[in-house]
Amino acid sequence: MNWSLFFDLTVSGLTLGSLYALIALGYSMVYGILKLLNFAHGDVYMIGAFLGWYTLHALGGPLNPTISGVFVLFVMFIVSMLGCGVLGVAIERFAYRPLRNAPRIAPLISALGVSIFLQNSALLIFGASFRDYDTFDLIGVKTFSVGQLFFSVTQLLTVVLAVLLMVALTIFVARSRLGKAMRSTSFDREAASMMGIDVDRVIAVTFFIGSALAGAAGVMFGLVFGQIYHYMGFIAGLKGFTAAVLGGIGSIPGAMVGGLIVGLAESYATGYLPQGSTFQNLYVFALLIAVILIRPSGLFGTAAIQKV
Amino acid sequence: MAAGGGSGVPPDRSGPADAPDSPRIGVDEWVASVEGKRERYTGLRGRLTREWDHLPPPARVLVFAIPAAIFPLVTTEGNLFRYGLFTLIYALLALGLNIVVGFAGLLDLGYIAFFGCGAYLYAILASPQFGYHWQAEAAIPVIVLGTAIVGLLVGLPSRRLFGDYLAILTLFFGQAFVIFVNNANRISFPFVGHADLTGGSNGIANIDPFNFFGYKITTTRQQYYFLLIGVSVFLVLLMFVNDSRTGRAWRALREDPLAAEVMSIPVNRLKLLAFVCGAAAAGFTGAIYGTIATAALPGDYDVGLLITIYAIMILGGFGSIMGIVVGAIIVSSVPELLRSSANARPLFYGAILLALLVKIRPWRLLAAELGGLVAFGFVVHAIAEAAYPRLVDGKALGSGTVAHALDHWMLLPQHPVKIADFAYISLVAAVVVYPQLSRLWRALLLAPLLYLVMFVWENLLLVQIGGATRLVLLGALLVALMNVRPQGLFGTATVEIV
Amino acid sequence: MRRRASATAALLALGAALAIVAGAYATPERAAAPAAQSGSDAASVKCGKTRTIGFMVPVTGPAASIGVQQQHWAQYYVSTYNKTHKGTKFKLQTEDTQLGAPTGTAEALKGAQALAGSPNVLGVVGPAGSNEIVGVTKTLMDGGLAWVSGSSTRTTLTTDGTRTGYMFRTVPPDAVQSTTVANYISNKLKYKRVYIIDDQETYSTGLADAVQAKLRAAGATVGRDGVSQQQSDFSSLIAKIARDTQIVYIPWQLPPKGQAFGNQMKAAGKGSIKLMGSDGLFDSSFASVGAHVYDTNFPLNPKSKIIAGFKKQHGGDGEYFGAPSYAATQVVATAINRACKTGTTTRAKVRAAIRTTAIPAKASLIGVALRFNRNGDLSTLHGFGLYKSNGKDFVPIPG
Repeated sequence: MNWSLFFDLTVSGLTLGSLYALIALGYSMVYGILKLLNFAHGDVYMIGAFLGWYTLHALGGPLNPTISGVFVLFVMFIVSMLGCGVLGVAIERFAYRPLRNAPRIAPLISALGVSIFLQNSALLIFGASFRDYDTFDLIGVKTFSVGQLFFSVTQLLTVVLAVLLMVALTIFVARSRLGKAMRSTSFDREAASMMGIDVDRVIAVTFFIGSALAGAAGVMFGLVFGQIYHYMGFIAGLKGFTAAVLGGIGSIPGAMVGGLIVGLAESYATGYLPQGSTFQNLYVFALLIAVILIRPSGLFGTAAIQKV
Repeated sequence: MAAGGGSGVPPDRSGPADAPDSPRIGVDEWVASVEGKRERYTGLRGRLTREWDHLPPPARVLVFAIPAAIFPLVTTEGNLFRYGLFTLIYALLALGLNIVVGFAGLLDLGYIAFFGCGAYLYAILASPQFGYHWQAEAAIPVIVLGTAIVGLLVGLPSRRLFGDYLAILTLFFGQAFVIFVNNANRISFPFVGHADLTGGSNGIANIDPFNFFGYKITTTRQQYYFLLIGVSVFLVLLMFVNDSRTGRAWRALREDPLAAEVMSIPVNRLKLLAFVCGAAAAGFTGAIYGTIATAALPGDYDVGLLITIYAIMILGGFGSIMGIVVGAIIVSSVPELLRSSANARPLFYGAILLALLVKIRPWRLLAAELGGLVAFGFVVHAIAEAAYPRLVDGKALGSGTVAHALDHWMLLPQHPVKIADFAYISLVAAVVVYPQLSRLWRALLLAPLLYLVMFVWENLLLVQIGGATRLVLLGALLVALMNVRPQGLFGTATVEIV
Repeated sequence: MRRRASATAALLALGAALAIVAGAYATPERAAAPAAQSGSDAASVKCGKTRTIGFMVPVTGPAASIGVQQQHWAQYYVSTYNKTHKGTKFKLQTEDTQLGAPTGTAEALKGAQALAGSPNVLGVVGPAGSNEIVGVTKTLMDGGLAWVSGSSTRTTLTTDGTRTGYMFRTVPPDAVQSTTVANYISNKLKYKRVYIIDDQETYSTGLADAVQAKLRAAGATVGRDGVSQQQSDFSSLIAKIARDTQIVYIPWQLPPKGQAFGNQMKAAGKGSIKLMGSDGLFDSSFASVGAHVYDTNFPLNPKSKIIAGFKKQHGGDGEYFGAPSYAATQVVATAINRACKTGTTTRAKVRAAIRTTAIPAKASLIGVALRFNRNGDLSTLHGFGLYKSNGKDFVPIPG
């Protein structure tokens, strides 16, 4: 057994997995409440990455930031998360809320429209070229090694931050009043509205949180992998989506575990399976299909009772 | 949103569309009143609607087929290719998709893969790749059958999965197809060993034209008429199917699978049948596309085309057969028209004017708004000229009186990049906020908003008309259409189950 | 029942009517010879003062970053020509092909139709991608148009004989580049443990295959992988590259991707492994990864005035991937002018003029004269230039 390869793959799988988990949470939370696949979610993540980039450059760029490097990072995350949160709420208000009583396919199509719109707006404004985060210059990418285990500071940062965000979300949903309202709305929207819960507000908050998490994931992607471009949302969205379904769409712990599984599966498939990196997406999709054929509700999902 | 509420708006959308969760109680009454609503249209529109409903299907198709058959006589080969051929291909694809999504209500996001299957199967059967050169009359049935079988295999899980899970599964099937054809040259197959099935990323080139008993279909005209016959026949078939027992069963399935099952409709078999029919139609179209492109290339069967086809089906209206033909004409020709800025400007302003005409009543208000817009423009231009000359040192794109007039009225900086980006983002924000305002504010702010629209159009969108702009407009159109008419242009509103 | 019968009759009538119309317009005689469009092939066109070159380039889509470079270079030729010539002017009729877009080659096909259908267009620069060329071959040939590509390198495009006399290119094919690369790695660097990663696009797989075969023949251990061009997270792929690998060859076409890959290699603690790119990565952004980066490109003359002038106009950025499109535009423009001596010309004459192109080394930015062999490849270019990064830019090294 080549342990060095195994460790490398695990580290990269965990990093990817944390990103996917953050994206998956947005899909899952929205689905839990609205039963809507928010196709535009991947593009919100892309916008988040660009917001981070613009913040970085507004603060003087990676080479000579006007404030200290760590603080720049902090501001990047805050701006990107807030910006994406607001974007998510706007999308909900404009593209989904008017369609809440329309046939189910209508909001799906609307979501597709938003996705096309965001992606090409980004092309229009940011251009087709790649934007560099230049993480090396900003904080200096140190590589740590513990025995044969190599990891970089950005990878560590990503995993730790993702875990923190997920813990915060879990506490929020479990403990706060709004979290309680979210859970009850997702359980039965009508009943919740009859109990005096402002469903519209709950939905807006859900979109805000989900999109903010995607924004954070976008900045993390830029930090770890260096480059962002207008097309990056599509494939990341698909993966996040896979993670959400794998874990059981609508389930928050499911999305987290699903994200990690997808990240690790992708990494191990690349490393160990024949033609791994060529067919890595195929392997991940195959895993997904196997899971939903055996357990259609996903790992953590509860079997849906069809309401009549 | 429905504040206009004029006679042109279908009466079934009572109340604002964004009212909080108002379940449509009493849906049975709604069903019962459908006939009455149809009768209620009077005048020309009512007569046309009724006449149309009473036409036998082939006659309805003729309304589309005759102008389509005349089209090649009045246009050049290049235009026939860009407008005619692609419209027909898109129409055929959308009609096939309509069976799956519009009739049976199965959200199939891997549909384009069947299109690709058709093209690749034909490429394998009739190209130098393996040295086979099959006649079309033999190849087409094999391809249709082959893609139908693939459709059956993909559709099988639909027995267990419903709704969104099927969408995901098919989406991944589509992705898997692309990855497969792009890399199949690296795979060794069991029993056969290594065989370069798809040519990998090079694709398969030099595909033969269709050869029916020695009659070859090679020129654009021939291909166009062949497709036209295909589309017409398919249209008639669909119209008969729509009125048949199967068609009714499909619709029942779409509206409420559970109720349909209780009514002893064989739900699973019908789902599969829809899937297989859609796949076969896409396979057939794929073979034709293969002969037109003379190559099967892995990039041609990806999400972009899927989105286009969905846009057609949605624009036309789910389940509406002739609506889809209209949708195909719009979706395939508008982006082509927009290719040149000479066409794009009048199209864009025309569309805005039309929207204003529909939305703003009475006409005095509209006149006031337009007058306000013109005045606003001159004021802004004058201020900019005095204070920030750099905002007006450019020229409008293109030539002619309109462009010349714009030079004196619109802010046209020579280097608009930054300010145009900023204006674009402000515009998106403004459009989101605008509907939330009170009536008075909306009236007051309309002229500045329109000016902003025109500014962004002249300085950003028109500049990039060849690329991103067209897709931005398509995306915005989809969202707007879903907001205004979720059932599509020609679709009928479905009854929502409470 | 009666309704159905009448409907069927109407259907039959419809089919018959359409068949008759179709038959009338699509007789086999027309099919046998591509006569329907031969009009534009032999049709004589007034050259006029302003002459039009068709230009097929991915202005948008995933490959837009390289398409824009080609556009800049082509426009640079046209603008300098128009500035220095009083009598004649050129203009580009640009058609966006959206290379690599999810809609595939459909856009390229439509663009080719638009060019073939515009009588003023006398020759075409582009398309950029080899698959696009495969897709538009029939359309352009039916229209009688010759095209000169500045970036399609699949060897068989010119050697398989289907496009002879119509297709030309100002880049050397994969066969030339792969030989240069393989010889350098095995003879000069004497490396035995090589890893090759393609980006699953046709340009890349062709080069990767050729280099792999040549290196294996020379006795090297070659690992091979592919990664989708849409991906920029290479961490798991990098994990797979053994730490004792000596050089990684990445024939990709998006320089920023090469840069991201190089940086991620460094972040994974594998920065000591050498990297080698292809002409698609020949850009300062890839060179900025470090001094351990090699690349190949056609032998640009870095002291050329043309390049200096271009750099001055574009903020110091050479955008070298687009440079052959300058040569392609030059070839087409020169040929049109030669074919236009009498004031009128035909597309066939322009084709012939391109075939006999002879641009002296002095006027060409490639450093050698531009002449085509019978297949349509440059007959004057037999090797590729080798470059090594100095940490910021690529500098030529002896091959």
